[in-house]
Amino acid sequence: MAASIEQITANMVSLTSSINETSSSITETSSSIKNVADVTQEMVTSATQVTTSINEIANSIRHVSTETDSLVTSINDTASTIDEMAQSIKSVAENAENLASAAEETSSSINEMAASIEEVSATSENLAALVEQISATIEQTVHSVQGVSTSAEKISESASSSASASMQLDRSIRSIANLAKTADEITNRATKDAQEGASTIEKSIKALLKIKETMKQSSTVIRDMGKRSSEIGSIVNTINLIAERTNLLSLNASIEAARAGEAGRGFAVVAEEIRNLAERAAKATSDIASIIKTFQEVTQEAVTTTNEGLKIAEEGSTLAEDAGKSLKKILLGIEDVAQLVNQISTATNEQLTAGQNLVNEASITATQAKQIANATSEQSKAVYGMVQISGQMRKIAQQVSQAMAEQAKASRNIIKAAQNTNNYAASVSRATKEQADGANQIARVMESMKKSTTIISKAISEQATAGEQVSREALRLARLIENINRAMSEQANAANQIDKAAENMKRQADQITKAMSEQSRAMKDTSFAIDNIIKQIKLITGGNIKQSELTTKISELILDIRRFFEKDVEIVHDSEKIISNLIEKVKSLDILWKKGQSKLG
Amino acid sequence: MPDDKDKENYILFKLVGTTYGIKSDDVSQMEMVEHITPVPNAPDFVEGLVFLRGEVIPAINLRARFGFEKIEYDIKTRIIIVQKGERKVGLIVDNAREFVAIPGEVIKPPPETISGLSGQYLQGVATMGDRLILILNIEKVLNFTNIKTSV
Repeated sequence: MAASIEQITANMVSLTSSINETSSSITETSSSIKNVADVTQEMVTSATQVTTSINEIANSIRHVSTETDSLVTSINDTASTIDEMAQSIKSVAENAENLASAAEETSSSINEMAASIEEVSATSENLAALVEQISATIEQTVHSVQGVSTSAEKISESASSSASASMQLDRSIRSIANLAKTADEITNRATKDAQEGASTIEKSIKALLKIKETMKQSSTVIRDMGKRSSEIGSIVNTINLIAERTNLLSLNASIEAARAGEAGRGFAVVAEEIRNLAERAAKATSDIASIIKTFQEVTQEAVTTTNEGLKIAEEGSTLAEDAGKSLKKILLGIEDVAQLVNQISTATNEQLTAGQNLVNEASITATQAKQIANATSEQSKAVYGMVQISGQMRKIAQQVSQAMAEQAKASRNIIKAAQNTNNYAASVSRATKEQADGANQIARVMESMKKSTTIISKAISEQATAGEQVSREALRLARLIENINRAMSEQANAANQIDKAAENMKRQADQITKAMSEQSRAMKDTSFAIDNIIKQIKLITGGNIKQSELTTKISELILDIRRFFEKDVEIVHDSEKIISNLIEKVKSLDILWKKGQSKLG
Repeated sequence: MPDDKDKENYILFKLVGTTYGIKSDDVSQMEMVEHITPVPNAPDFVEGLVFLRGEVIPAINLRARFGFEKIEYDIKTRIIIVQKGERKVGLIVDNAREFVAIPGEVIKPPPETISGLSGQYLQGVATMGDRLILILNIEKVLNFTNIKTSV
């Protein structure tokens, strides 16, 4: 487009230059017409040339006349075309101005758009960073939620195990309470039994002491009995000895009686009776001895037994005393135990209520922990969803930032292009202004040309009629010029004469000039005009050709410009679309962001 | 009384559980063992000398004389003073407390089997009911010459 605009400006410059050239050509035309006048004056000076030239002029005037008619029409056409061109240039200028303003607006809007795109890009980068942060936070949240989930599961397990443990605790506390009750009863019974035992032991201690005393007494009695029995034994020995001696005596008496024969017969009987008595006495004493022996053995056994019994009684009394002491200690211990059991039963009663509360609390905790575990598993699911969403968000943000970068690049390019367009439009507007000015000038010129051409055409028609006369005069002039030519050819032979004649001719020509000036006051104007016209026409036709070429080029360029503008418009539409898409994506991002925040919150 | 003439009075004594009989006519007196004075270079069965009724009498341990083991004296131990001719000897026995009349038909000679060395001291064997009484041959018992030569 820039190139086309450059072309346009170049063309416009060339157009203006051509227009300038046209104007300068027109001025040149006027000068050339002046030159023509000079030439005519010169021609006038050269009479021969003048006649031919007059003929030619006449012819040319005729020709010019016809040409002028066609010129007039063509000038009219040209004028109208130039008007149209001027109008079109004006409209082009207006359009160029509009274009410029539109381009400015477009560039400003593009700037705004670029700025907004930059902002959006920056915002989307921030958004991408935020999304990264969010995704990182969400990943941390995932970790923490997973940790919370596992810990919640563990809590749930431990809560359920603690619930079951507290149930077991409750059961064991109940059994302990029952045991404490039974222990209380048992200790009460044991206290009673111990008290009874203590009293029994005291009684038995007293009885044992009595037994001890009795045993002592009986042992002394038995010892006395032993003594007596040994005394009896000695007596028995004495009796036994007496019995033995009596037996011995009776035997000796029997021996003596036998020796005495018949005289000692009665004595022998007595001796035998004595021996029998002694024998009986010995037997009795031996019986007594055996009885006393057994009695002594029995008393000895009784003594040892009583001694042992005494020992046992002493030991029993000491043992009973020890038992009494230990029973007293046991009683004290049992009282302590009873107190402790009472404390335990009260404590177990308190524990029972506390354990019931614990069971309730533990069951509540278990259900809560289960709920927490479920909630955390749901949270982890949701967080996984959030992770997926944040991944999508990340992708979208990356895509958005990429698109925004591309857009920013494109918008920068657009800005550059718009600036270029702006510059080009400004230059175009400038050029078109200049063109318009030039066209206006041309139009004015053309107006004046029109007026002058109408005047000219009138003059030319007058000239035509006069030209007829002139031509007739020119014929005559031609003849004269032929004559002059002849004279000139004659004169050519003698150049010096010619010079002189020329000087004469000069003078004559001056005269002719004066005459011609008189004659062709209109001629001057005419020829001047004609020359001008011719040159101008030539120039105009050239310029027109150039202009038509240029205008076609301009129109093409304008079409190009329009195309470029259409492309701009399309680009702008695309960017609008992109922007609307961006807006939608940003809105969806905002919605996602809000969702994420609400879920995070 | 013919019955009385057939009978003879015997003093019964005990030695190592066996009842011996000795004729009352051979016995002068009986005493308890009170004091025996030991005799030097006497044979084992000679306990010593006893002093009785103004006489010194040798005391023979009949256990040792018969080849039995000696025992301590006690209240029942007796010395039976035996007289054969001029000779008086004290026989120390375990026990002697009976004076019985034994009919002559009851006394029988000792069996051939024991008539050897121990049989020379026995005159016969008397049976009185269940009781078996060995009647001593006092002469043989008091024969010291053999003994002295043997010593």
